[in-house]
Amino acid sequence: MPVLRRFLGTAEGIAGGAILLAIAITAVLASVLFPGDPLAIVAEPMLQPFQHQDAILGTDRLGRDVLAELVHGARTSLLVGLAAAFAAIAVGATVGTIAGFAGGLVDEALMRVTEAFQTVPGFLLALALVSVVGPSLPVVVTAIAASAWTQPARIARAEVLSIRERDYVASARAIGMHPAEIAFREVLPNALPPVLTLASVIVANAILIEAALSFLGLGDPNIVTWGGMIAEGRVVLRGAPYLSIFPGLALVATVLGVYLTGEGVVEALASGRSR
Amino acid sequence: MSDITLSRRSLLLTTSALLASTAMPTLLLAEEAKPGGRLIVAADSEPKNLNPAIVASNGVFFIASKVIEPLAEASFDDENGLSPRLATSWEGSPDGLSVTFKLREGVTWHDGKPFTSADVAFSALNIWKPLQNLGRVVFKDLEDVETPDDHTAIFKFSTPTPFQLIRNALPPLTSVVPKHLYEGTDIAANPANSAPVGTGPYKFAEHKAGEYYRLEKNANYWDKDKPYLDEIIYRVLPDRAAAAGALEAEEIQLAAFSAVPLADLDRISKVPGIVVVSKGYEALTYQLVVEINHRRKELADLKVRQAIAHAIDKEFVVKTIFLGYAKPSTGPVPQNDPQFYTDDVPTYPFDVAKANALLDEAGYPKAADGKRFSLKLLPAPYFNETRQFGDYLRQALAAVGIDAELVNNDAAAHIKAVYTDHAFDIAVGPPVYRGDPAISTTILVQSGTPDGVPFSNQGGYSNPELDAVISKAAETIDESARTELYRTFQKLVATDLPLINVAEWGFITVARDSVKNVSNNPRWAVSNWSDTWLEP
Amino acid sequence: MNRALRLVRRRLITAIPVIGLVIIGAFLLLEAAPGDAVDAYILSLGGADANMVAELRASWGLDQSPWARLLAYLAALARGDLGWSVSFSRPILDIILERLPNTLLLMSASTALSFMLGSALGIFAGARPGSLRDRLLSVGSLALYAIPGFWLALVLVIFFSINLRWLPLSGIETIASGKHGFDRALDIGRHLVLPVASLGIIYLALYLRMMRAGMAEVWRQDFIRAAQAKGLSRQRIVLRHVARNALLPVVTMLGLQSAAMLGGSVVIESVFAVPGLGRLASEAVASRDTPLLLGIVLVSALVVIAINLMVDIAYALLDPRVGAAEAS
Repeated sequence: MPVLRRFLGTAEGIAGGAILLAIAITAVLASVLFPGDPLAIVAEPMLQPFQHQDAILGTDRLGRDVLAELVHGARTSLLVGLAAAFAAIAVGATVGTIAGFAGGLVDEALMRVTEAFQTVPGFLLALALVSVVGPSLPVVVTAIAASAWTQPARIARAEVLSIRERDYVASARAIGMHPAEIAFREVLPNALPPVLTLASVIVANAILIEAALSFLGLGDPNIVTWGGMIAEGRVVLRGAPYLSIFPGLALVATVLGVYLTGEGVVEALASGRSR
Repeated sequence: MSDITLSRRSLLLTTSALLASTAMPTLLLAEEAKPGGRLIVAADSEPKNLNPAIVASNGVFFIASKVIEPLAEASFDDENGLSPRLATSWEGSPDGLSVTFKLREGVTWHDGKPFTSADVAFSALNIWKPLQNLGRVVFKDLEDVETPDDHTAIFKFSTPTPFQLIRNALPPLTSVVPKHLYEGTDIAANPANSAPVGTGPYKFAEHKAGEYYRLEKNANYWDKDKPYLDEIIYRVLPDRAAAAGALEAEEIQLAAFSAVPLADLDRISKVPGIVVVSKGYEALTYQLVVEINHRRKELADLKVRQAIAHAIDKEFVVKTIFLGYAKPSTGPVPQNDPQFYTDDVPTYPFDVAKANALLDEAGYPKAADGKRFSLKLLPAPYFNETRQFGDYLRQALAAVGIDAELVNNDAAAHIKAVYTDHAFDIAVGPPVYRGDPAISTTILVQSGTPDGVPFSNQGGYSNPELDAVISKAAETIDESARTELYRTFQKLVATDLPLINVAEWGFITVARDSVKNVSNNPRWAVSNWSDTWLEP
Repeated sequence: MNRALRLVRRRLITAIPVIGLVIIGAFLLLEAAPGDAVDAYILSLGGADANMVAELRASWGLDQSPWARLLAYLAALARGDLGWSVSFSRPILDIILERLPNTLLLMSASTALSFMLGSALGIFAGARPGSLRDRLLSVGSLALYAIPGFWLALVLVIFFSINLRWLPLSGIETIASGKHGFDRALDIGRHLVLPVASLGIIYLALYLRMMRAGMAEVWRQDFIRAAQAKGLSRQRIVLRHVARNALLPVVTMLGLQSAAMLGGSVVIESVFAVPGLGRLASEAVASRDTPLLLGIVLVSALVVIAINLMVDIAYALLDPRVGAAEAS
């Protein structure tokens, strides 16, 4: 895998990959490290961090172990980020490919819909959707994806427009391939790389939007999320800043890891292309 | 742990210091009080309709009670806990068919017109009875208001109405609005609803939506020399964490209704120049209640309800969620209502083993994964504390093998889900206790309320014995007999557990120490603040 | 210029179906919401009986079918009437016009801050791709971009308003201050510093990165090598050739981000108690005030479309090729 080698050759790639790997391992091992419900009340409330063996990072307002919450929160944040990005890119790439390939009225209609979504402030859309349907993990993911799919759609369309007149597409047409098959087997795979470079931004944004929704009280209450932890800790921001600092740092580290990885990938791809 | 005891002690100290200051002779206070100044207080909600005669809610009273006055206000020391406002005396007839009010003389409306018994009659017959959310219950049998002279109003009822209920309802239900502005208009759409005209110590000056309300001193107030303040400004601060910072930065001087989160009180009480006061909400008690949907077969079983009651550690709730600023409940009437409260009811001490045993007995054994059955739990989103209790309850139920899934709705969706669609198994609600069971608490257990009525019994519970006691009490004139019926009511509720009362709490006021005469009556935040003053 | 006019016309024509879609979408969304305006209003009353609930539904027209209400709304809209807000008891247009200036002020100040500072730093970083300052700025800006906006706002408030007391904590101006003219403008300016900083600093990173990435791309192109071979000064190459060419996608981003910034202002406006459109929107959702939310969505869509139009015109002026392609 030359791309992987080139990726690991960049400083961003190494740093981002290392951060993400650490967080991913934490997320995977969450149930092993802290079995049971991380929201269980295990100790006295508001224990300061670094003073108790049972709760190294202290406890929150109800007496839940902050470290356990943090570790399980990694899982939620990554899940929300990846799921939302996957949904947004899948929808965006499909819409963009269809619009770009079909052209004409279909293109016109799909682009108007895309513009309509782009015209409404994304966060407002997510906020309205979640408060209307009620906050649960799938709804939050859907809402974030709904506000994020437009950019992949536009980029995919632009790529498709430039690809569809190329030789191999023409030859596929010549041998009588079905247009849908051409669109999704010949054109989409080639249009995808530029769309995928958006992935890191979408994942990072999804994590941040989830946090902002939780901050406004629109998180899934059955699951630990870093955003939800910050929202709860913010009430005692000045008396017990650690309650919002730890999840805040975890959030910044994860988002940064995602961005850096994205940078590394883009750089690796770019240097591969230039060769 | 030590943190908590410390904070409680410091709380006791501030409140006792405050008690000492309010207990000082009024003469001395009158001497000390310095007129003038602008008081800026935090407002977290922004009611658009400021007519307390129509909307008898604390959010409206908080602002409108300074402009529009009731016939009487709650009081710590006066007889029956009432001090005169627009009425100077009130007397019920022995048959329960009439109540006579003597009205204050020399009172004028803010627009200069004199206040008379015609205003009271108009307010009662045209607003309280047909339009007001609570007045529709209390004044449902009000037939006529006779006005033999300008300063006497005689309320006539078609069926006996307990004078005790009328008395208890005076502070929240009897805001008097000017007949000359409302007569012959569409009352609900009258412009005076958003720019109220009253008889109170402050005149409504302006409302800048999203920013503030401004009230000005009424120089012609009937209580001479009052009010002391030149202006009151309600600064709209929608973010719940904003009030504490605004107090510290001296952008506001007072935050009522626990606008400063409980968890932040310990810290802010140590900031020089800031006092934390837990007094002044005695007549505004909120109850933390687990509402139960009896349509679920598991929950229709008394043993299961008892098990849930035993699974809740009320001490933990009071200590951790309310940080000591609450009391554990024994039943549907809060302890700070000495008129009706009784502790002679069955209790459910925290006992996980007993809860497990009861659930086993009821025929819901633990499955291999430790779970007996699953429930949908809907905590009301209006308060931090109800949400937190929801989080706690989920854990408390998990400890006895009940798997509760939290549903986080916004306010409108919560109301629809619980009170119209009945799409819940258990809900957490914060009903307010209004000084008489007839206008609070009973509606949560009485059967026969149609679907879609918020804050009522929508759990499908029906107990003919309990219903009979409630309706009997509603028409019993004799006070001691009526009180006794409500004691029976408490016993029945605590025995059959149509819902589970967990805790009861009042709010906390945090103020700069330059604000004087804070919290000197049991409805202080929603009273008229005519004697409040600012140290320059 | 003719090209720009044609572009404007084309944009305006395509904007009509877009706005139609947005309005119908927002209407359906709120229609699907559990609970209606009456439920939300009753909550503020603390309870009501069944008759009162039914009377309110009837008098607010909520007993009619959704389609009847949507048609009535669209018919009124065609006459230029945005309708009546039941939760504010006021005409919707009045409410929105009262709040819109605050949001526009906040948005334009934040955009100006992030765009100017961001692209300046981006040019600074991109002048020497791969240098230490480039790496530092780009990782530093990533870290900034990774900070949740509300979190930054809270930290700024504690530091500058409560601890240092340099700046006001919240609001758009000193309440009932009676200030006029320059004093009032200054007062509003002081109130805007923290919200603008919280909103702008995060987007700053975006422009910095776009500028830098764009410049890195341009550096590789042949005409730069030619310019270098011609012996032009480095500064001249950076500013006249590299930065100028890299600016185009950044300008496009400016338009795309206007909607995002309007969304971001929801949180910032509620943290800083700024009476703006974003906060109004979340209030409208909470009180299920459908016509109000539709009005807000309509107005913000118009704002976004107007900004994008301006960006397009700027783009067309900066790069004649784009306009030509659009017009043909």
